[in-house]
Amino acid sequence: VKPVKLLVVTALVVLAALGLTAGATAQSDDDRVVLTVGLTQDLDSPNVTVGELVSSYELWNLQFATLTDKAAADFATEPGLAESYASDDGKTWTYTLREGLEWSDGTPLTAEDVAYTINRARDEEWLNHTATVANLTAEATDARTVVITSKVDDPKLPTMDVYIVPKHVYEDISADEIGNYPALDGVASGPFSLKEWKKGQFWRMESNPSFWRGQVAIDEVIFRVFRNADAMVAALKSGEIDAAHNVPAASFPELETTEGIVAVQGEQGGFDYLVLNSYAGKPPRDTSKFDAPHPALLDLRFRQAIAHAINKETLVERVLSGLGTPGTAMSPSANPAWIPVLSAEDDYEFDLAKANQILDDAGYADSNGDGIREHEGENIVLRYAIRSESEYSKPYAEFITGWLEEIGIDSTFSTYDDGQLIEVAGRGDFDLYVWGWTPFVDPDPMLSYFQCSQVSVDASDFSNYYNDTGICDPAYDAMYTQQNTELDPEQRQSIVHDMLTRFYKGAGYIVLATSPDLQAYRTDRFEGWVRQPAEIGPVLFSNSSPSYWNLTPIEGGGSEGGLSSSAIVALALAGAIGLALVGWYLVRRRTVEERE
Amino acid sequence: LSVRFAAGKILGALATLAFVLVFNFFLFRVVESNPVATLYRGRNLTDAQRDELTRQFGLEGSKLEQFWRYLEQTLQLNLGRSYATNQPVVDEIWAAAPQTVALVGVATVLSMVFGILMGISAGWRRGTARDRLLTSGSMTTWSTPDFWLGMILLTFFAVRLGLFPTGGIEDPASNATGLERRLDQLWHMALPCLTLALAYVGEFALVMRSSILDVMREDYLTLARAKGLRDSQVRDRHAVRNALLPSTALIAINFGFVLSGAIAVETVFSWPGLGLLTYESLRGPDLPMLQGLFLVFSAAVIVFNLIAELAYPFLDPRVRHK
Repeated sequence: VKPVKLLVVTALVVLAALGLTAGATAQSDDDRVVLTVGLTQDLDSPNVTVGELVSSYELWNLQFATLTDKAAADFATEPGLAESYASDDGKTWTYTLREGLEWSDGTPLTAEDVAYTINRARDEEWLNHTATVANLTAEATDARTVVITSKVDDPKLPTMDVYIVPKHVYEDISADEIGNYPALDGVASGPFSLKEWKKGQFWRMESNPSFWRGQVAIDEVIFRVFRNADAMVAALKSGEIDAAHNVPAASFPELETTEGIVAVQGEQGGFDYLVLNSYAGKPPRDTSKFDAPHPALLDLRFRQAIAHAINKETLVERVLSGLGTPGTAMSPSANPAWIPVLSAEDDYEFDLAKANQILDDAGYADSNGDGIREHEGENIVLRYAIRSESEYSKPYAEFITGWLEEIGIDSTFSTYDDGQLIEVAGRGDFDLYVWGWTPFVDPDPMLSYFQCSQVSVDASDFSNYYNDTGICDPAYDAMYTQQNTELDPEQRQSIVHDMLTRFYKGAGYIVLATSPDLQAYRTDRFEGWVRQPAEIGPVLFSNSSPSYWNLTPIEGGGSEGGLSSSAIVALALAGAIGLALVGWYLVRRRTVEERE
Repeated sequence: LSVRFAAGKILGALATLAFVLVFNFFLFRVVESNPVATLYRGRNLTDAQRDELTRQFGLEGSKLEQFWRYLEQTLQLNLGRSYATNQPVVDEIWAAAPQTVALVGVATVLSMVFGILMGISAGWRRGTARDRLLTSGSMTTWSTPDFWLGMILLTFFAVRLGLFPTGGIEDPASNATGLERRLDQLWHMALPCLTLALAYVGEFALVMRSSILDVMREDYLTLARAKGLRDSQVRDRHAVRNALLPSTALIAINFGFVLSGAIAVETVFSWPGLGLLTYESLRGPDLPMLQGLFLVFSAAVIVFNLIAELAYPFLDPRVRHK
């Protein structure tokens, strides 16, 4: 054995093998038009009764057409599988399906499929359908007509955005088995159907020629999962992928200035909030099992002072690196039209002097001069919970507690993972924390979370609640019920605006900033990217994903995959250098042996 | 080699495994967490759905009951269900293992071969320019964090030169099968494998170098030289054979770590193996998955250690006679 010689030879063999494989791969391109989207989250399940991640919703948006569609610009209800719909009383709606609808496997898509999905989802309480179908009954009166009846006045109708599943596939799956159904059947009514899912790697969808809008211009969409977001950005720059979802904030400014790449801050209602624990004894709970908030937090004036002490502009600039916009009232929907415009009088503008004044007037004095105000003779120290799972949680906490200190309020910190924090919050064992929400299109679910009935009172399950601020306001609840049955859209919106203004003024829930989806796409291969909602929304992973059926390939657009010419030159060069080295070594070696 | 010796080693390994089994349970139950609440935040779950999920995750009953159930299930090779995917942990581990064995196995073999050769070469010519170059070079790659090394290689070879893909195990757009598909996978494996090989090679090189230095003082080398053997013969027939012994133990232990050894690199290159599964589960945290992975990783190390201990007497007669 001659170690060094062996080393060089092995290195060369490896290099040659790599060169060969690279060459072989470079030739495997063909004429299919393939859109490749990079993302950082795999599907959890392609099964609509099980999955719940954003990535799975994107899959269903492409695989399943819905009775009514949502306008790309403003989510307005539009004809989808149903070409028309009408109602006399707002409770019973008649939908007429388009003519000649088919599933991707050629089976006719009829009113039977629609009625079957709605009724079965209601009976079996399918995870992603329940909220929409709980009060509905559907009946197929002929192949193209579905009559849907609601038990209550429901302002969400005629919107019917549940994913209609193929009856001829699902009727063979029993209620016990449906949770374990892998849902890889690929029977689609939307623009694409699922062909392959390699867990943790990618999923691949082929265009569906039977899609009711007609076959789309893309043959295949591939969603490629990156576990390393920086590698995803690298792949976008090198042209390995055409678009990327969940771009890391640190790379965003760079992509914004990269030629041939458009970076998108997609707003669809997501926001970060600071919650103040304001539970004041209603509805009653077992005080031996629950913790209570700091008593000062039950004083509206104290909460208002905190609201005046939060500089949202600074938080966006310094914590979120400018990615996001300062918060106002809570956004209950992906559509910003639902957010009320606050009057100057209602708005808690950032003003530390004013905050101090409010606290002085309310009698929270600092009598011992240590810089911290007292409540009933004791320094006011708030318990601030930090989320270990969010990179922004600590910087938020540093700024917020800094401002609190300036108005004479001290804080202590505890750190929790999200699972723990849900329970800690349910037990009321905190005063402040920052978390986030992403609402649906209809404001109802988000609004429902802040009713009295959603306050945590169940000592056997501290996670069984939504209202983490603990405020119970009967007037809010009354307005909630009202909007939930108001069939006039303008009236309903006006009620919602009033509710949200009232909620804002209660100062238990301070919206800090919007949390946009950061995305980017290349401009050299496809055109026709659609933002939903218009101008501010994301281009991918939006509510009904209109980009995919709008995109068209650009003729002669950039190359995909394979090797670039510079790469081939580099490989050849490396090979040549390697060979030269071996030659030199062998020659030298021989002369040494001769000398010996 | 006595039966007693072997039985003792095997019993020792089994005892360690039993300890790991018990420790593993309590380690992961220290963290109080309710996966049902975490997974389904923002969902309208009925109480019945909630109870059913709690039952599926095996979280009902007292800690002791859970422990017995855990022991019973583990002995039947049932490691529970993942909080994140609701699939059996065993299936997920089984599906991810081949990719890790391929990647880390190849990298370990490469770094072993290169490292040992480098160590011999450096040790035999101690103090020369070659020794300094090989030793400082392998020290550098060994002490470099592997995720950082991976990112550097990725940025240079995948983005700047466009030579290799940025991650994944195969080209999702390709319909290739058979050999062509294998070649594509090899192409995808090149960068992560190179990263790992660079990271591991220093360990082998340094251990081999120091054992060469140890044997160089031995009398039998002086004797070999006195017999008039050429320098390369002295090295290959007498020095290397003896110096390889310490490396054998190292090799065995390294194979034990093949399963668990590549968390950072698999994550950097989105390589769908056990390392990536570990990283994903840590982020959850997906406790049943972590529990299963730790058990498998520990078992692998224990088994390869046992193999090394049982093989040693065959390689080194001195151990046999003691």
